[in-house]
Amino acid sequence: MILTGTYIFNGPRAAVWDLLQDPAVLAKALPGTKTLTRTADDQYHGVMKVSVGPVTAAEFAVNVELKDKVPPEKFSMQIDGKGAVGFTKGTATIDLQEQPGPVTVMNYSSDVQIGGKIAGVGQRLLESVGKMMTKQALEALNRELQSRLGKQ
Amino acid sequence: MIAKISIDVIVNGLRRRREVEPRLLLSDFIRQDLGLTGTHVGCEHGVCGACTILFDGEPARSCIMLSVQADGHEIQTIEHLAGPSGELNPLQTAFRHEHGLQCGFCTPGLLMTLTAFLRDTPNPTEPEIRDALSANLCRCTGYHHIVEAVKLASRSTLP
Amino acid sequence: MPAEARYLSARVLRNEDARLLTGRALFVDDVQIEGMLHVAFVRSEHAHGRLKGVDVSAAMRRLGVVAVYTAEDLGDYWRAGPLLVPPPPIPNLVFHACTQVPLAKDKVRHVGEAIAMIVAENRYVAEDAIRDVVVDIEPLDAVVDLEKGLAPGAPLIHEQLTSNAAAHVVQRKGDYASARKKADLVVKRRFFYDRGAAAAIENRAIAVNWDPKAEELTIWDTTQAPIPIRNGLAKMLGLLESQVNVIAPFVGGGFGPKIMMFYPEEVLLPWAAIRLSRPLKWTEDRQENFYATTQERGQVHDAEMAFTREGRILGVHDVFLFDTGAYDPYGLTIPINSQCTLLGPYDIPNYESEFTAVFTNKTIVTPVRGAGRQHGVFVSERLLDIAARELRIDRVEIRKRNLLGPDRFPHNHEIMFQDSAPLVYDSGNYLPTLEQAVDLIGYDKFIKDEQPRLRAEGKHVGIGVVCYVEGTGIGPYEGARVTVEPSGKVRVATGVGTQGQGHFTVFAQLVADALGVDVEDVRVVTGDTREFHWGTGTFASRGAVVAGSACHAAAMAVREKILRLGSSLLNVTPEQLELRGGQVRVIGANGAAIGLGELSGLANPLRGAVRPGTEPGLESTAYFGPDRGSTASGVHAMIIEVDPETAMVEIKRYLVAHDCGTIINPLIVEGQIHGGVAQGIGNAFYEQLVYDEQGQLLNASFMDYLIPTATDVPRVETAHRETPSPFNPIGLKGVGEAGCIPTGALFAQAVEDALSDLGVEITEIPLSPNRLFELIESAKAAGK
Repeated sequence: MILTGTYIFNGPRAAVWDLLQDPAVLAKALPGTKTLTRTADDQYHGVMKVSVGPVTAAEFAVNVELKDKVPPEKFSMQIDGKGAVGFTKGTATIDLQEQPGPVTVMNYSSDVQIGGKIAGVGQRLLESVGKMMTKQALEALNRELQSRLGKQ
Repeated sequence: MIAKISIDVIVNGLRRRREVEPRLLLSDFIRQDLGLTGTHVGCEHGVCGACTILFDGEPARSCIMLSVQADGHEIQTIEHLAGPSGELNPLQTAFRHEHGLQCGFCTPGLLMTLTAFLRDTPNPTEPEIRDALSANLCRCTGYHHIVEAVKLASRSTLP
Repeated sequence: MPAEARYLSARVLRNEDARLLTGRALFVDDVQIEGMLHVAFVRSEHAHGRLKGVDVSAAMRRLGVVAVYTAEDLGDYWRAGPLLVPPPPIPNLVFHACTQVPLAKDKVRHVGEAIAMIVAENRYVAEDAIRDVVVDIEPLDAVVDLEKGLAPGAPLIHEQLTSNAAAHVVQRKGDYASARKKADLVVKRRFFYDRGAAAAIENRAIAVNWDPKAEELTIWDTTQAPIPIRNGLAKMLGLLESQVNVIAPFVGGGFGPKIMMFYPEEVLLPWAAIRLSRPLKWTEDRQENFYATTQERGQVHDAEMAFTREGRILGVHDVFLFDTGAYDPYGLTIPINSQCTLLGPYDIPNYESEFTAVFTNKTIVTPVRGAGRQHGVFVSERLLDIAARELRIDRVEIRKRNLLGPDRFPHNHEIMFQDSAPLVYDSGNYLPTLEQAVDLIGYDKFIKDEQPRLRAEGKHVGIGVVCYVEGTGIGPYEGARVTVEPSGKVRVATGVGTQGQGHFTVFAQLVADALGVDVEDVRVVTGDTREFHWGTGTFASRGAVVAGSACHAAAMAVREKILRLGSSLLNVTPEQLELRGGQVRVIGANGAAIGLGELSGLANPLRGAVRPGTEPGLESTAYFGPDRGSTASGVHAMIIEVDPETAMVEIKRYLVAHDCGTIINPLIVEGQIHGGVAQGIGNAFYEQLVYDEQGQLLNASFMDYLIPTATDVPRVETAHRETPSPFNPIGLKGVGEAGCIPTGALFAQAVEDALSDLGVEITEIPLSPNRLFELIESAKAAGK
């Protein structure tokens, strides 16, 4: 499954970058995240609950490794998830560009392989669920950004 | 162990009380706890219709219901259709007469669906019959003889 | 057949229906035994990978779990399954047997391959424990596409081989190369034909009871072949065959995959039941069925047909790839069926056919109703249609010009069939069947009047007419025992399993006719090795032909006993006797008579003597083994309307004119045809198993894998013709697969006809509204 898109944050790039490196913020922003902890430099472990069509509230243990970091411009992620109903495996890249405002334009793209039960019964819905979760996460992050900027 | 819940259900006219796990499917309750194995399970996701029963008189998929949902309700299964000494009712007779079944696995679900259908639509047209059948999958017959059986049953005098 | 036959060819209602209609018929999942444990399987989520480890410790600690087994626990019992169908003796044939294993060890080769077996107090707990098992798999690239799978450097599925080629076979008759040089026209195309899931509404199930005191094992199995299962399991388990009973009770649809034998679950449950001394049951769920029950998959044909200007076929050349899935236990039955059935009812003097079977990281492929025949029919019928267009000959006319005439039988096609016997058509009369179909569907009137009129109204209507043959009723043999009981009722036992074909009725009809009893008084038992333990199984449209002939033979032997004993008791010659109304009686008014029940008592006295040279009772066992199969044939025709905007196809009429030799029961034959057509329509327009590039099946549920419903399938008109087979005493030919064999070819022709203004050419099946829409759009774009 390939997901690509663009999102505009209402704030400077450095602030967006900081946000994306903070597991506590990400845990709140990513839908269904139960836990997210840093296990080593640039390594995270989390537990997520995902619902796709007939598969409801399936838990995935997810390991994420950040790679190719060029602060505050771009980084990529190696994602490895495993659960009772299947697995996910893939990469994502995030690219941030600051524009006058200042606003930050995020270009993201991910290529994730899905296998097991969830692939067999949820395939039709996976892409729309993926898009929906991405949108929810980005909007939550933008809200968090606004509240941080407001406090300054 | 998960605490069991007491349910009280009228099944084929008899009142049954059982302690069940809250996650027990209604289809498993009917087949295993009550031993009424005429209700069949073909897909466990409510598509094929083999597990159809009458729930308070209306067709329902017992494979996607929990047994606790049946508490205080009335259920009829395939075992309830024939007469007391096993004589076939007009719908069952029509199925035999028109060769409306082959392997017979989907048949109980079809008969339960059609029992309600013919009660509500006593003189159906062929498109109405096909529409009513379209929620039950049969892999053997191609439906042709089932349609004929429903037509025949609708012409008989139902008891 | 005795002169007084009253049931043969009659629309007799089925003996088995009352049990099925009232919920009293026993299916395997209905078996419940005190103390029974339930089984679930941990299955691979990866299509291809190295199995590094399986940690079952957490599952073992779960309350209610009784045992968890991996490949390591099986010890010597772990071994690859038998090669079920060895390849026929074809010169230079290459075949690599790589059969399935009970639990994966070292490697997984398709999604859904079993890795561990969990035994628990109930199914819910067993499934809970699945998620406790930690499976460590290092994923490998998957082989999904056939051509890529054969390319150098492709990932190797079976590492003891040098490529993913499972087999290579060439069959030839005549000299195609020379024939091609004389041709006025050669048409050549690439064809793709995929199949899907059999999708019987009953999933597979197996229940096992080991009686440690009697040392007897009883197995209830949804198999189409209970006797070979018993024999094979006895051998694997080190038991006498007589210690093992296999019962295939009512089986909720077979359609092929239940003839696959020694599935992992079938091998593991009996072993574990003995080990645990507890009854066990496993019932497949629908999702497992999509991964773990065999399927039939794609073929890619590069085929050409050479013609004279008049449309006479000079020869055919075909090279194809066949997807055999991750293992090949069923040998080459499917591709050889494709290879043979391509010849159809036509006179094809020169033929060269070459195929390569390819291992892929998909579920194992074994026959599904039709078993590769439809692939061959699709290729030849499509090439005929294309040639007809190019030569400006009518589609029906080009077929008429090439049909084998009635004087050409027996017809030897000079190549080997799947049963290791030469492909010889026993009998047939093809032209009248085609003419009847053309007449009944109103082909000429449709082409001349209706189609132009409807097209003028803007409707895209089309007609299709295609021919097929079906090799049926192959050996080796079946048997039956017929017994007249003291009640006067008759008991028939035979070995084949039954999955809805009406065996309880058609066998009873044959026996009732031979013995002059009512068909309701004949009780048939099938698929229970305690009752009868010689035979093979229900496949290749052979139940009625082979087991039916055995029932007939056994009944005729009992009839002889009745006549002999009756003549001595009634003091007349056997010729003066008839069997009627459950009695043997002297022909003529007021003739003396003895009831068969009484006679059976007299044949089995408690005192006195049974005469030397005779046997007690009125019972006989007989076997029937045909030298080779009998070839049924037919024509399908349909009229459709296509909506070019939505690409939906509405079937206006569907007609099958067919010849399956002598018909035992037209009602049942029609049912077989209707159901076959419905599966054929599913194959042509609704059903496809979609795999991604990593071998993940993407539509493993009835929500996404669409089986035709009552609104998708039309009424099916039928016309029966009977050209009796000389290979069995009643003249029977099989009919089980006739409905689904030419449906894809028919669909393609009718859709092309309906869209002829757009110039859509169809070289693939299944279509779907989506795919047809794409074809319409690309035809429109090309036409601009």
